[in-house]
Formats: sequence, C-alpha cells, structure tokens
Amino acid sequence: MGDLILINLDIRYGREPIVQDFNLEVRDGEMVSLLGPSGAGKTTVLKAVAGLIHPQKGDIIIDGQPVQDLPPEKRNAVMVFQKPLLFPFMDVEQNIGFGLRMKGWYGLKIRKQIEEIMELTQLTGLGKRKVHELSGGQQQRVSLARALVLKPSVLLLDEPLSNLDANLRQRMRELIQDIQAETHITTLFVTHDQTEALMISHRVSLLLNGRLRQVGTPQDLFYRPSDPEVARFFGGCNFIQGKVKDGVFQSDFGHVPAPEINGNGHLLTATIRPEDILISSDSTFEVEAEIEKTNFEGSTTRIWVKCQNTRFVILTSESKFFCGQSVRIHLPSEKIRIFPSE
Amino acid sequence: MRSSHGTIASAAVITAVVLPFVGLMLWSFSNRWFYPDLWPQQWGLRAWDYVFGTAGSQILTALIQSLLVASVTAVISVIIGVPAGRVLGLYEFRGKNLISVVLILPVIVPPLCVAMGLHLWFIKMGLAGTFLGVVLVHLTFCLPYSVFVMWGVFSNYNPDYEDQARSLGASSSKIILRIMLPMTFPGIVVAGLFSFLLSWSQYLSTLIIGGGRITTLPIILFALMGSGDRPVAAAVSLVFVVPAFFALLFSARYLGGRSITGVR
Repeated sequence: MGDLILINLDIRYGREPIVQDFNLEVRDGEMVSLLGPSGAGKTTVLKAVAGLIHPQKGDIIIDGQPVQDLPPEKRNAVMVFQKPLLFPFMDVEQNIGFGLRMKGWYGLKIRKQIEEIMELTQLTGLGKRKVHELSGGQQQRVSLARALVLKPSVLLLDEPLSNLDANLRQRMRELIQDIQAETHITTLFVTHDQTEALMISHRVSLLLNGRLRQVGTPQDLFYRPSDPEVARFFGGCNFIQGKVKDGVFQSDFGHVPAPEINGNGHLLTATIRPEDILISSDSTFEVEAEIEKTNFEGSTTRIWVKCQNTRFVILTSESKFFCGQSVRIHLPSEKIRIFPSE
Repeated sequence: MRSSHGTIASAAVITAVVLPFVGLMLWSFSNRWFYPDLWPQQWGLRAWDYVFGTAGSQILTALIQSLLVASVTAVISVIIGVPAGRVLGLYEFRGKNLISVVLILPVIVPPLCVAMGLHLWFIKMGLAGTFLGVVLVHLTFCLPYSVFVMWGVFSNYNPDYEDQARSLGASSSKIILRIMLPMTFPGIVVAGLFSFLLSWSQYLSTLIIGGGRITTLPIILFALMGSGDRPVAAAVSLVFVVPAFFALLFSARYLGGRSITGVR
C-alpha cells in the first residue's frame, strides 16, 4: 500500500524548536508507534506528515514521492485526531462518506465502501444515527472508519485511545490491531502510553524532548534501551556504576562480560529491570540488603531496598517481605544492560 | 412553587410583549377614541382602508424599500462579520482590545452624532441620498453586533474540525462551505437577524443620510405620527412589525436552546 520516510525533519513554532533531526522510516504494511511524554512533539510530527504544519527543513516521502509541496488534501496520508471531531450536522454515514464525497464520488459508488468499512469497524446498523447519540467508543470508531474508507497510503493516528476508559481502550486497541493486520495499512501511531506502544506496534520509536532517541522492536526498547533516559521512560529505575576492565564490566554487584565495549577504566552506567533482580530472605544470594519500603500492587509487590550506598527497586511476585527486613539480592549478569559511554 | 413562577413569567411576557399590541390593534380599528374613555367611541376600518387603499402604493413602496435596505445591510454585515469574528475569536494578536473598543463606539455614541458627522462626508463622496449611503450608515450600527456575535461563536469554535476535514481531502473552499458555515450557521442566523432588525428600525440615520429620497417604512411612520392621525399610525406600525415578527418566528429555533456551535 505505501511507505513513509521522514528525513532530517526540523519543525519550529516561531523560534522555538519542537522537533529536530527527525529520521524515521515506516515500511509498507508496518505499524510503528511514536512514543513520548506529552509535549515531546509527537503530534507535531504527525501534523507535518499530514501537511497541516510545514517543517522548516527535511523531507517527507510518501510512496516514494516527496510531498512537502503538496497541500494536505492532496497527500495520501490521513490523520485521525485525538478527539473524534465528528461533524455534528451529519449522521454516521455522512461522516464516514465525507472524504469520498470530497473526491467527488456520490451515490452507489460510495455506499458499498461505507458499508464495508462500517462492518470492519463494527458500526453496522448505526449509519443513520446522529453523532451525539453515539457513545465515546462508537464516536472514535466512526472517526477511524472515516479515515480508513479513503484507503490512504499512510494512516496517522494521534492517541485515538486516550479519551476512552480502560476497558474500552483495550477493546479498541485490539480492534485497531485486527484492522491493521487485515488491511495491512501503513500506520504511524502516536501515544504517550508505553504499554500501548509495546502492545500494538511492530516497531516503536521513542521521542524525548523533540529528538528521536531509539527506534526498534518493542523488545529492543524494553530490554535493550540505548541510554539511561530511554530506560527511565520504560520504568527502569535501577542504575549502577561500574568500570570496564579487560572487557568486563565490574561493579559492586557483579561482573558482566562486555566484550563489545572498548576502553579501560571508563566509568559507565548499567541498568537492570526491577523484575529481574532476585530477592530472597535466606542466604541463597551473596549481596546483603535491607528493605526500606514495600508496596503491594496486586500480582506483584514493589520493594525498595538499600544495599551499600545504592537503592534498588525490585518487583517480585512474593508478598511475604516486610519493612526493615534483612534480605539478600542477586543481579543476574545476563540481565544487566550496560550503556556505552554517554 | 413552579406554577407560581410560571404565572409571574407569563404575566411578564404578556405585559411586555402582548399588551402594546393590544393597544395598537384597538387604535387601528377605531375611528374615534378620545380621553378619558378606555374603549374607542367608534369602531371602523378607516385606518386600514387608508393603509391598503389611499396610501397603499406609497406604503408598499416603503415596505419594499425597507426590506431591500435591511436585507442588503444584513447580508453585508454577515459577510464582514464572519471573517472578522473568526480572526478575533481564533487568533491572539496585539491591539485586540483596541478593536473591541473601536467596534463598540458607534453603539455608544448617539446615532444622531454618527449620522450627522457622516452626512458631511457622504455629501462630499456623493453617497448622501443614495441607497448605498443608507446601507453604509446602517452598517455602522449593525456591524458591531454581527462582529461581536461571530466573535463569540468563533471563541467556542474548534479549528481542529477544519484540519480534520482538510486531512480527509477537503479543499479550502469546501472547508468553508461544508464545515465552517454549517458549524457556525446558528450564529450566522443570529448575526443576520440582529442586523436585519437593527436596520429595519433605523429612523434618524435613514432620514439624515437618505435625505427624504430613501423612504423606508419608519420614515413614513414618523410622518404619520407627526400628523396626529393615531389610528393610521397604529395600522402602519402593525404593518411595520409584521415582517420583523415573521423573521423572528422563522429563526426562533436558532435563538433558543440550541448551542451556537452545534456541538455538545
């Protein structure tokens, strides 16, 4: 259907840079999420692709064709906004058919396409409803259908789930996944919710402060963050310092072979995910620690421990630990991720 | 409690709206009605006979003239009011407060001053005594209202709808026709109606700028009032009220509970 390539995008509002040096490729049929905290410039990138904002610099290529000079209505990319933004003076069918009518198509020709798309988005039978008679989830589905019916090369979704409650969000997420799998529509999906990004997309790109920090599979970003900030965004909170000597990362909590890192004696940072640290009340492990705080979270318990001068956060499925307890912990060396020097 | 509130409300409505009409009706169907009687001494159709017969063509011409002036004024007022209101409602820029002061000036300054002041210039420009001149002077009173109404409408207007439409393939002209105008239509009706009614009831400015050549209904009405023929003045007043009344009825649904932007 189509692919999207963004090269060296530079976007400013006035003098303030919003997005800088942005490079991203979304391949044909791929669903890539653009993840980042609010204010990182995610929507700005989306609007630039849609043509609603003009980047100061850089190229936007859709289907191999540069589109910077094309107005939004001529670009084969459709954006779905965070709010459903359904036109209140039209019914559901008219809303969905809006884009087709803008192409100058009327009557039977568009009727069938509208019906197909309504079936795909589970809206069958609601065609004559007024917009304000729909629930939030239905409105969002109409908004999605209105874009899908145009069969764009690239679909741009701007946090379409953020206005829905938790249950509905899950169902809508699955629906978007199913539709994407069925139609193979190239999709750029903006979200601030890391779980959502990891669940829904083939690849995730993380945008922090207007710069793209890492692009990769969900597993890549989660287990192999490229720097401490990326790790922190995905809930990483355990950072340890150590030195590299002869291809081994040495710290107070264990030694990790690091053959790919050059240079001796550099002070480096490493991280380990809270759920990867093992904790035990008997003397199975070698490192001693003291529990400072525990927080029962249902299926897991979050434990803050102090160990020498470092604090660790541990997620464990056991709930038997208590405050002030002396425990022993172990940091499996294969779970420690060392960052190349910053 | 509720019913007593209802009674007070309907009493207020009747006193303010219906009672004056009762007086007018009575006057228009009387031939003789002198103080201190509460009821006309002699009923008759003399006034209506005059309105539809003797002065029929004169009043019809004035009616058409009034309709033309008011319609043209309302249309121009909306055509200017919509883009002006859009800019004021959607964008932040310096001098916005100054604009609102300037806009409200013709409303604060007595119409007599505005009309007299403009008269001199209009004579120089050859606009005095012309249809265009009268429309222009009416616009000085109507524009503030339509700009303010549209300003309010666009303050509640979400331009994301236009971006969404554009992304769905709508060109600029289609966005204006298919999105912006329908979304703001109730507001446009209000602005147009305001302007129409304001222009419809202008007397002083029409008299000064029109210089007797543009005879709208109020001009004739005031002439009849001055002549002291109460029944005829009452009948012409009723004719004067009818179009405005219909315009109001026609658009009443837009003035009421329906939200101006049309969005929940």
